[in-house]
Amino acid sequence: MAPSRQSHSSDGHPASSHGEADTFDALYRDNIDLMYRYASRLCGETEAAKDLVQETFLNAYRGFKNFRGDAQISTWLYTIASRACLRMRRRRKGAPERELSLDEFIPTSDGEFRLQIPVEGLNPEDALQNKQLREALDTAIGKLPKKYKMALVLRDMEGLSAKEVGAIMGLSERAVKSRLHRARLFVRRELSARGLAEDTVSHQGKSIT
Amino acid sequence: MVKRAVTKRRRRPESTSHQHEGGRCLHILRELSAFIDDELSNNICGEIRRHLGACPRCEEFVASLRQTVSLCRRSPAPVLSPNDRARMREKILAAARAR
Repeated sequence: MAPSRQSHSSDGHPASSHGEADTFDALYRDNIDLMYRYASRLCGETEAAKDLVQETFLNAYRGFKNFRGDAQISTWLYTIASRACLRMRRRRKGAPERELSLDEFIPTSDGEFRLQIPVEGLNPEDALQNKQLREALDTAIGKLPKKYKMALVLRDMEGLSAKEVGAIMGLSERAVKSRLHRARLFVRRELSARGLAEDTVSHQGKSIT
Repeated sequence: MVKRAVTKRRRRPESTSHQHEGGRCLHILRELSAFIDDELSNNICGEIRRHLGACPRCEEFVASLRQTVSLCRRSPAPVLSPNDRARMREKILAAARAR
């Protein structure tokens, strides 16, 4: 595996004699935007995302000497952030983690097969110019139980491979793919059923609660 | 462990034009993410393509799943302002020194 400590060589080796603060600054500067993006997608709102980023870098600061360099720095940070997120949410809510059953998504009616996402004729960028659609997407992702959300965010939004997501979440690739599929099916149903443009969406599908 | 979703749903298919062909739709619906991600063997991919060609409902299903994934992939992410970036760095360093 790539020894990613070298990726920080522009500012000296992270474990060099520049000291902890310099090491931290290099780590922070190179990864803050990545971590904030990930945290925002996981948390959905600014303050919680900032809290998560702070917790992540604080843990990274403390744990850097234990970082063995056998994983990419970004993977290591994603892992710290994911664990911190699980802890933070548990502290705040304590709601049990819901399982998304695949059966839940197997269509039983014509309408459920044919749920439409109102992006006809638009490329994704143009479709996302629509505020309602953007908000509905964020809401749908926000409603996902967090272990499904993490799989979806890491894979479809952060663009990591199933193998990398497995390493971060401590899961087999197979388990990652299964969670990802359920998460996508959930978001698809939420997006289509939200009736983003009420007049263009067929209401044949059952309503979602 | 798995709840039977069917029992919760009263709505039944209004048309009988769509046959589940011995569970083929069900089987295919489970594989659609892997299909979209191009992770399936040629054989299974071919089987799914043939099914999609013959089954407009599954075709629409996969189209909407693809759109969902595209939207996720292109969804814009918020960016921190330089001020927030600096402020957060100070906070983290202060917390690291305090503990």
